[in-house]
Amino acid sequence: MRRRRYDPGMTRVLRGLGPLLLLLVGLAGIESCGSKSAVSTSRTSAPEDTTPPVIAVLPSEIPELVASRGGVTLVNAWATWCDPCREEFPALLSVARAHARDVRLVLVSTDFPDQVSAVRKFLTSHGVTDTTYMKTGDDMSFINALSPKWTGALPASFVFDAKGRLVEFWEGRSDSSRFDAAINHALAARTPAKESAP
Amino acid sequence: MKSIRSLVVAMTISMLPLVLVAGAQAKEFGLGQKAPMSDVKMKNATGEDVSIAGAAGKKGTLVIFICNHCPWVKAWQGRIASIGNAAVEHGVGVIAINSNDPGAYPEDGFDEMKERAQSVGYKFPYVVDATSEVGRAFGATHTPEAYLFDAKGKLVYHGAIDDNAREPDQVQHRWLNEAVDAVAAGKGVPTAETKALGCSIKLREKTSS
Repeated sequence: MRRRRYDPGMTRVLRGLGPLLLLLVGLAGIESCGSKSAVSTSRTSAPEDTTPPVIAVLPSEIPELVASRGGVTLVNAWATWCDPCREEFPALLSVARAHARDVRLVLVSTDFPDQVSAVRKFLTSHGVTDTTYMKTGDDMSFINALSPKWTGALPASFVFDAKGRLVEFWEGRSDSSRFDAAINHALAARTPAKESAP
Repeated sequence: MKSIRSLVVAMTISMLPLVLVAGAQAKEFGLGQKAPMSDVKMKNATGEDVSIAGAAGKKGTLVIFICNHCPWVKAWQGRIASIGNAAVEHGVGVIAINSNDPGAYPEDGFDEMKERAQSVGYKFPYVVDATSEVGRAFGATHTPEAYLFDAKGKLVYHGAIDDNAREPDQVQHRWLNEAVDAVAAGKGVPTAETKALGCSIKLREKTSS
């Protein structure tokens, strides 16, 4: 999957790279092979903070993003200006961290492309250092790629089980118990899948 | 005979949940249906009370859930004004409804609505859904969210304004504009349902009755 990173001078980063490697690559100013940034950022301005990594994701890349990697994937679509998104963020992170061994948290910002600095600032204020994502491309394809039942209201959360199947989805602000219950539900469905694996 | 009667009773009882579910689904508002709570009066930003039925046009009616605070509404409000004002001129009534609880979003208060309606130039009612019951009846989840009814009062379009909130010059599909034009011309809409990202509507708590 080709990714466009919202950083000047660094537009392609593979998921899973450590923070140090990311920093080195960023300093080297490596351009990706043909991929382009979806954000117009001035190349003559002073270097801006590029952490945490924020990678552009197209609707067509959503299936790969949520595909099973052996555990549960919790996707949260949010925006910096969205009050209920900000309000649920601490609970979301707390539950995801409590289940860190079994759950992969995929944060997808739906902010407008020129708001990437605000996205990073918000993530940093909540101690997020891992790679996160930023929606690009048209809304309807993005919405339907995550779930045809999603109306487009924010925030929205999606829980995919170990087989990459969407097992829970809801719109609107949640609390810890809702996130926890959804994750436990998905984890419970994981056991038979493991047993039947070759 | 008794066993047959028992069987019938048992089957009826066992099917009751299905009937109830089917009934509940039938009530769900969607394409082809008439606007719910269309006679409820809501306070317009200009002071008078207006209902959806009161705002209806001869050729159709556009009901659009908007608010003040939402960045997506702000991005689209010029186009909402443009499409809405033109619709009114072509016989399609328009009413913009704010179902948000201003307790959650102070920017969505009535005074702020008055200012916004004037500054943006809405030439159609921009009303307060004071109990959020109208928004709830529509099943509106976010702003902006448009519902277009034809001359017979049936919902023919539900969804977004167009496919690009932030960059008007990059719009590829002017869904609402095309649907309004079709309804004004008495024709079928080219696209009936679309989606776009938007701000969750914060409905007021349900009042106990």
